Amino acid sequence: MDDMEDDTTIFSTLKSFKSLISCPDRSLLETEPAYGRSDLQKLYTSRVEAKEAAERVRSHTSLLQLTQEKQQMVLSHKRARIELEKEANSSSRDLQREIDRNRELLMKIRRLEEREEKANQALSEQMENNKALKRNLEELHKKANEKDSKLAEADQMISELKDETRRLSQQIQIQESKFSTQNLEIQALQEQLDVQRKKFQDISQRYQNLQSSHSTNTESELKIKELERRLVLQEQDAVIVKNMKSEVARLPELGREMKRLREENSFLRETKENSSLLKEETEGLRRKLERMERVMEEKLKVELEKEKLEHELQAWENIGQATGLNIRKPEDLSREVIQIQQRELNLKQQNYTLNSSVRSVEKARTELLPEIAQLRAKAQEEQKKRENQDSLVRRLQKRVLLLTKERDGMRAILESYDSELATSEYSPQLMLRVKEAEDMLQKVQTHNTDMETQLFKAQEEAGTIKLQAQMVISELEALKEQQMSNAEKTTLVTAEEICSLREKIEELEAERQRLEEQNNILEMRLERHNLQGDYDPVKTKVVHFQMNPTSIAKQQRAEEVDQLRVECQRLRERLRKIEASGGMTTDDTTLIIPPSQEILDLRKQMESAELKNQRLKEVFQKKIQEFRTACYVLTGYQIDITVENQYRLTSVYAEHMEDSLLFKSTGPMGSGSMQLLETDFSRTLTGLVDLHLFHQKSIPVFLSAVTIELFSRQTVT
Amino acid sequence: MSKTLKGITLKGSAELVAEFFSFGINSILYQRGIYPAETFTRVTQYDMSLHLTTDSKLKNYLTNVITQLKEWLFDCTVQKLVVVITCLETNEVLERWQFDIECDKAAKESGAPREKSIKAIQEEIRSVIRQVTATVTFLPLLETACAFDLLIYTDKDLQVPEQWEESGPQLIDQSEEVRLRSFTTSIHKVNSMVAYKRTNSM
Repeated sequence: MDDMEDDTTIFSTLKSFKSLISCPDRSLLETEPAYGRSDLQKLYTSRVEAKEAAERVRSHTSLLQLTQEKQQMVLSHKRARIELEKEANSSSRDLQREIDRNRELLMKIRRLEEREEKANQALSEQMENNKALKRNLEELHKKANEKDSKLAEADQMISELKDETRRLSQQIQIQESKFSTQNLEIQALQEQLDVQRKKFQDISQRYQNLQSSHSTNTESELKIKELERRLVLQEQDAVIVKNMKSEVARLPELGREMKRLREENSFLRETKENSSLLKEETEGLRRKLERMERVMEEKLKVELEKEKLEHELQAWENIGQATGLNIRKPEDLSREVIQIQQRELNLKQQNYTLNSSVRSVEKARTELLPEIAQLRAKAQEEQKKRENQDSLVRRLQKRVLLLTKERDGMRAILESYDSELATSEYSPQLMLRVKEAEDMLQKVQTHNTDMETQLFKAQEEAGTIKLQAQMVISELEALKEQQMSNAEKTTLVTAEEICSLREKIEELEAERQRLEEQNNILEMRLERHNLQGDYDPVKTKVVHFQMNPTSIAKQQRAEEVDQLRVECQRLRERLRKIEASGGMTTDDTTLIIPPSQEILDLRKQMESAELKNQRLKEVFQKKIQEFRTACYVLTGYQIDITVENQYRLTSVYAEHMEDSLLFKSTGPMGSGSMQLLETDFSRTLTGLVDLHLFHQKSIPVFLSAVTIELFSRQTVT
Repeated sequence: MSKTLKGITLKGSAELVAEFFSFGINSILYQRGIYPAETFTRVTQYDMSLHLTTDSKLKNYLTNVITQLKEWLFDCTVQKLVVVITCLETNEVLERWQFDIECDKAAKESGAPREKSIKAIQEEIRSVIRQVTATVTFLPLLETACAFDLLIYTDKDLQVPEQWEESGPQLIDQSEEVRLRSFTTSIHKVNSMVAYKRTNSM
């Protein structure tokens, strides 16, 4: 198709080319006559157009060539592709064929391998069979050998047994001969026995007689003892009776004694009353005596007092004579005393009044003293004022004089100025001068007044100071006077001073106590610290011996600790080595493990014991199994022990597996008494149970009946 | 011995006091069990039976300390002697037996013997040692291994001898103190007291 299209295009292009070629010719031709313009231009344009057409043609041709080439290329491509496809197909076919071949080969290989494996297996099996056969052969050989040996042993045993039988027969013969001799001996012995028996009987009879006599003996002895006891009692009774008799004989004597005693009693009672009376009298007399003695003592004392009083009286009477106051009786004395007392009282009163007056006077004086001081002060002030006034007056007078002088001067000046004024008119300057002069004057006046005020102040200060000094002097004088007065008075010390002094004393005392307490506390603290061992580092130091026991002990302890640590480490390493080596202690001879020989022996013994145990168990089991199977086969019942003392029997001919009879062992162990327990199966056999167990009371019969029943059932069904 | 029969001199007093300390320390070591009882023998001193150690190292140490102490007593430069008992495990001070020594310096200057009978001094020493023995009843038990040390409080300006060194006072933390009897030789006065660590079980 493409070729066709290409052809059509080629043809179309050819046509267009042709047309083009024809057109420019026509155009060239046509244009010449039609237009009569510039020919050059037309030539140029036509040439250009021709060139363009030629170019177009060229391009067309190149295009056509290229398309042709392209078509050829495409064709060749197609051909190449086709060829390649063919080759590819062929190669793929070859590949597939190769693959198939490969697969077939692989399959073959696998089959061959399988065959090989089978062959190997068969080989191995054959080998094993071979070995087994060889082993069997060996075993058979061994068995044959064993049998031969056993046979030999058996032959030996037989020969031995034969010898033994010969020996035994010989022995039997000897024994028989002995037996016969012994029989004879037996007979003889039996005869002796009979004789002995007869003797025995006699002796037994005698023995019995003896026993009876013994018994009678004991009875008689008992009787004798009883009689003796009775005898003893009777003797005691007899003794008692004798005593009673003797006592009874004493009765009349006792009666007489009683009478006598009663008489004595009465007599004694009377005497007792008398004696009591006498005692009272004696007591009364004693008391009287005591009183009399006391009275005597008092009398003595009184006499002494009387003497003393007489002495005093005489003294008093003497006083009267001594003093000469016309005293004869104590009343006079008392009167005198009273008079003296009254005089004393009067004097005291006077004293008190005087004291009070003195005090009042003093008070008035003390009151007056400040007044005096005040008045003095006032007087001084007045004086001072007066002086000030005088000074003021003097100053004023001076001032007045000065002022008058000034006035006179001023008047003179004014008069002179007035006189001068009338003549000339020098007023402004003159007025100025006047003003200046007036100003000067005022300044001087103010200066003057200032000075005067200062002077005044100074004078006042001096006056006040003088006043103060005088007041102080007056106070001093007053105090001196007071002191003088205080020295004279003794009872009028001002209570206020005393109180103040007392207060001061109390305060000081309290402080002193406080300080004392503090002192005590501090001393206790110091003591405590001293007890604890404290010291003043300024004054004391503590020394001790360098090689002292504590430091030595500490060193030793440290060394011990180090040694223990080293030992500990050493032991730990040893332990690790032991654990690593798994208990082999042959290297370490110092370890505390028992020698290995014993252990090995013991282990061997243990192993042998265990082996024996196991073998015995196996043997027992085998035997039990054999026995049970034999029982089952012979009796027809399989006997199991389900629970302690319970036996379950299962018959050979049982219809079901669960059919079983249960027997329980009653009574003591080993007696063999059994009872049948109820089971489902036994309920089906009630008839047999009744017959064989209840009536006949035989379990084996019952069991055999059951077996027969079951067997009959089986054969029937 | 320069203890004249008439009175006590400074040297005699120093010897008496040193002797008392030697026996006193031995008694304390025996009573408190610092050293095992079998290492002690009995001797008679001050009219009573006292214990004396037979351990040669301990004897050596004690003689060294006591001879030095005697010198210092003669110089009146010693103020206290302390027996410190330390627990070896915890390094704590458990007991302190402190003996304060007051010296009359006038005796050093004058040199005249003082009037006091030796019997009276011995009587006083005896009562002190008896009291030391009796105090053991109320002191807490020393259950752990212990060691002792002798400290001497001297004047600050004293020259420390060769084998001696300065140390701390080794006070007890939380102590109870008990004052005991004292005795005097009229030149030296020795006051005794014991301080022990308060036990928390009380």
